[in-house]
Amino acid sequence: MAGEEKLISKKEVLERMGISYGQLYRWRRKGLIPEDWFIRRSTFTGQETFFPEEKILERIAHVKSLKEEHALDELAGLIKRKANAKLEVTLDRLRKLDWWDERLCEMCRHPEPPVPPEPPSPGGKRKETISLNAALCVAALRRLRDQAGAEEEDLAKRTLEAALAGEPLEALRERKVTLYLLRKRLRAAGIQADISLAAVASSPVTFDPETEVVQSVDLGAVLERIQLELGKEEA
Amino acid sequence: MNESKPSATIAGAGKISGGTYERISISGAGKVEGDVTAEEIRISGAGRIDGRVEAKEVETSGSIVVTKDLVADELKVSGSGRVDGHAKVKELKCSGSFHAGRLSCDYVKVSGRLRVDGDVESEIFKASGGFEIGGLLSADRVEIDLGGRCQAREIGGGKISVTRGGWKDKGLLLDGIVRLFVGAGSAELRASQIEGDEIVLEETIADVVRGKTIEIGPGCQIGRVEYTESLTVHPSARVGDQAKV
Repeated sequence: MAGEEKLISKKEVLERMGISYGQLYRWRRKGLIPEDWFIRRSTFTGQETFFPEEKILERIAHVKSLKEEHALDELAGLIKRKANAKLEVTLDRLRKLDWWDERLCEMCRHPEPPVPPEPPSPGGKRKETISLNAALCVAALRRLRDQAGAEEEDLAKRTLEAALAGEPLEALRERKVTLYLLRKRLRAAGIQADISLAAVASSPVTFDPETEVVQSVDLGAVLERIQLELGKEEA
Repeated sequence: MNESKPSATIAGAGKISGGTYERISISGAGKVEGDVTAEEIRISGAGRIDGRVEAKEVETSGSIVVTKDLVADELKVSGSGRVDGHAKVKELKCSGSFHAGRLSCDYVKVSGRLRVDGDVESEIFKASGGFEIGGLLSADRVEIDLGGRCQAREIGGGKISVTRGGWKDKGLLLDGIVRLFVGAGSAELRASQIEGDEIVLEETIADVVRGKTIEIGPGCQIGRVEYTESLTVHPSARVGDQAKV
C-alpha cells in the first residue's frame, strides 16, 4: 500500500510550500508531521528524505493555515502532552464539528462525574468540557456506527475505555493502535449463533480465519483528526 | 490540598517499592521496584529504578539507571545516568555522562558526554562536550562547541553552528597542550547529513550539507553542499561538490 503512494523529495516540499528546514523540523518535533512520513532513500547525491506527496502537502497547507503560533502550540500540545487522559476539550468546540454525535457523547461521558452546577460567576458561563479520551471514544464509535449494533457499540466502548486507561494517547499513533469489531459464527448441534468481539491491539494483528473483521478503526488517525479539527476551529 | 505523600531515604543499601512519593533520596545503593512518581529524586550513590519515572526534578551526582521511560521537568546529571527508554525532560543539564534510548527536551546542555541510541529532539541543543546520537538530532538551535568527539547520523533544524572548542582563543600553546591530552583531531563532528536554514560549520565531516545560508569553515570535509542563498568555503576546507538549488 505504502509502496504505491507517490513520493516527493524534501527539497521539493520546501520549495513548493515555501517553508524552511527549521519549520519542517519544528513541526516534526511537535508531532504535527508524523515521523513515519519521513522516508529515507539513497540517491546519487547521497541520502535524501521523501514524503508521501499527497499527505505531506495537505498537512503542511493545514499547519500553515494555523497562522497563530498559540494555535499551533495548542494543537501540538494536544498531540504530545503526556497527561492526555486528564486533558479536556470544551464541548462547544466539539459540537461544531460535523461528525459530532450527542448520543454517543452522552454514552461515553457516563463514567465521568457529572459537570458540577455552574458556580454563580458574574463573568460569564463556565465551559462544559469532556476528556480527550471520551472525545476519542465518540469519534471511534462514530466510525463503527453503520456496522455495529447497540450491544456491540457498548462492547466496543467498554473495550476502548479499558484500553485507553493508563495509555498515553501519543502512543496510539506510534504503536498503530486499532480498534477492531469482530464477529464469529458458531455452529454446534444444529444451532448457530453469532458472537461479537471487540479488541484493541497494535496493528497488524492476525485473527483466526473464521473471525470476520466487521470494522477496524485506526485510533491514532482518529485522534489526529480530532486534534487537527480542533486546531482549525481555534485558528 | 493534596494529601501528604511519603518520602523515602535510602542511606545504606535498600529497596523500596514504586508508587507516589514526595521525595526519594538515595545516598547508598538503592533500588526502586516498579513505576514511581515523585516531586524530587536525588541520587548521590547508586540508584536503580526498575520501571517508569515521573518527577519534577531528578538530580544525580552518583549513578542512576531507569529501565523504562523517564519524564521530568528537570534532569541534572553530574555523575552518570542511563535511561533505557525514552527520556522526556524539559531541561537536561549533563556535565557527567548520560545515555538514553531516545531523548525529547526543550533545552539540552551537555558539557560531559551524551549518548542516545535513537533520536534527540529539543528546542535548544547546546553541547561543549561530546555526544553520540544514533538517529536524528533535531533542534531549532543547535550550538556545538566542539569539546570532544561528536557524532550524529543526521542533524536538522533552524540555526546550526559548530565551532571548534573554546581553547584556541586562549593561545596556541594551551591549545596545543589540550590537544595533546585530548588527542589531536578528536574534537570533530561527524554526521551523514546536516540540514538547516543557517549553518556555520568548523571541523565537521559530513556527506551532505543542505541549507539556505551556509558557511563551511576550517577543517571541514564535506561531500556535497546544496544551498539556496549563499555559501562561503574556507580555503582549508574540502568540499567535493557544491550546488545552488
